Amino acid sequence: MDYVSPFDEHRRAALPLAPRGLALEGATVVLLDINKRRGDEFLDRIEARLHEHGARTLREVKGIFSKPAQPELIRRIANRGDLTVEGLAD
Amino acid sequence: MPAPEFVLPSIRGGPLGLAELRTSGPVVLVFVAEECPTCTLAIRRLAPLTAALREAGVALVAVFEDPPEVAARVARSLGFSATALAEPAPYDVSRAYGLETLPTIVLIDGAGEEVDRRVGWDAAGLEELLMRAGTSAIDVTREVPAVKPGCAAKCTYDVATLALLDGEADELEDMFARGWTDGLPVVPPTPQRVAAMLGGRDPALVLGEVPPAMGQATLERVAACAVLAGCRPAYFPVVQAAVEAGLDPAFNLNGQAVTTQPAGQLVVVNGPIRHVLGLNSGMGALGPGTRANLTIGRALRLVITLTGGAAPGRLDRATLGHPGKLGFCIAEAEEDSPWEPLHVERGFARDRSVVTVIACDSPLSISDHRSTGVEELASILGWAAAATWSPNWWPLGATSVYVICPEHRALFEAAGWSKSRLGDAMFNAVRRPARELRHGETTPFVLAADPDTMVTKWTSPDEIVLLAAGGEAGRYSALLGPCLGMESAVVSREVVESP
Repeated sequence: MDYVSPFDEHRRAALPLAPRGLALEGATVVLLDINKRRGDEFLDRIEARLHEHGARTLREVKGIFSKPAQPELIRRIANRGDLTVEGLAD
Repeated sequence: MPAPEFVLPSIRGGPLGLAELRTSGPVVLVFVAEECPTCTLAIRRLAPLTAALREAGVALVAVFEDPPEVAARVARSLGFSATALAEPAPYDVSRAYGLETLPTIVLIDGAGEEVDRRVGWDAAGLEELLMRAGTSAIDVTREVPAVKPGCAAKCTYDVATLALLDGEADELEDMFARGWTDGLPVVPPTPQRVAAMLGGRDPALVLGEVPPAMGQATLERVAACAVLAGCRPAYFPVVQAAVEAGLDPAFNLNGQAVTTQPAGQLVVVNGPIRHVLGLNSGMGALGPGTRANLTIGRALRLVITLTGGAAPGRLDRATLGHPGKLGFCIAEAEEDSPWEPLHVERGFARDRSVVTVIACDSPLSISDHRSTGVEELASILGWAAAATWSPNWWPLGATSVYVICPEHRALFEAAGWSKSRLGDAMFNAVRRPARELRHGETTPFVLAADPDTMVTKWTSPDEIVLLAAGGEAGRYSALLGPCLGMESAVVSREVVESP
């Protein structure tokens, strides 16, 4: 039987993952706070641990957790960091 | 032996033929079908080899003896990202290849000659075939079962068996098998039903991308969801307006679709179309019984869960959800109400038909059969909101929807109170000192406030939306709790009735 699909069956091209296995020593890690409660506390702890491993850190904050990040924020993270740690949920 | 040429629809759109596939080297055709467990195993085990084969210059191509939408669904669910083609009945290509069993894996060289063929699942045999394709060091998993017989190819079936497989025996079960449901039976979206739903509108018109998976909401897909939901074609303009309103970025459907909150999407219908469609704004307006209310709300939800990919338990991460997430649509009782209807409050002319969407929680019934004064009743209604979201979360900073029943409305009407007067009275009635709110889940506002500061439940009276609906007997109004943290605006769209 032929039916009209409610789904968008168009498959999006998968983007390759960034290379793994990056050494933390000397790397720049962006810590992204999505603006949920106590996310900053979590990232403070992660930041301290990263410093112990010789990483440089940058902090970024999303405007609101429930909406996609602004393209400018995504570009900034991509341009400035070697990797990103996101503080998700509360 | 020359391999038969063919051109079949690709699940990524457009036709694709063997001649084009073999321009860059050998082709491995894997004939499969949805119903065959060995095919499922084969596709699942071949999927991880896709990249290595591509690097070796070998094109891996699944040919499904299924319609394109089935092929696409199965490929997606099995994580198969290589080329996939669909060959619905009458299976001429399968017959040309002399298939008897699925899966059958056929190796065709760049010159178009068939050089090898394996039937069923045979890991060692497949590895030999891939070696003949010119690959090296491609390991096919020997996970048990390393050898598994296949099923009969569909091209060998008789007409009656094919009809059974195509779902003619039980279309409703077929819809469940496809996952085209919210858990309840649906109306199968045949091309005829979808065309009737569209009523001459452009099926390719795009209303936007539906979060969270950003599926494109063509009018045809929205119509398919409306059919699935059980809508009559006459309802479609309202469904379309609801989807357009829901996709307004200010509504933030993205956040609502995936949240752990029980966020539903209330559809409020105002204007003359309520009567045309028989929408219920009276007795049991928030409950069962009226097709238009139940199916219009359900159609919007199906657009979100199917086209948008927010399937409960997958991308929809609601901890509990609520029954309104099946469908949540109400009309306002404009003629029986002394108040301005919602769409007029929002700037539309009274004679226009308008849909408004509001993100909200499930209804809480508020019984008050004793209040005799309007201030008293306003206070009771307002205080019902005190524990919404969380008892100490003051102010809410989000919309609360009240559905005010006729007997309660009569009291306010006798006193000459407008909606805004009532909203102001409710807002002013509900206050508590900050010190009483400082435990459990509370707001930064409360934590920063002086302990004796009186905190209101809402940031402003504008966060209170009042609707008129309900049966004439019984002093039960309802409160629909807020959806927080979404910055979700109340969004309205005018219903355009002619295509």
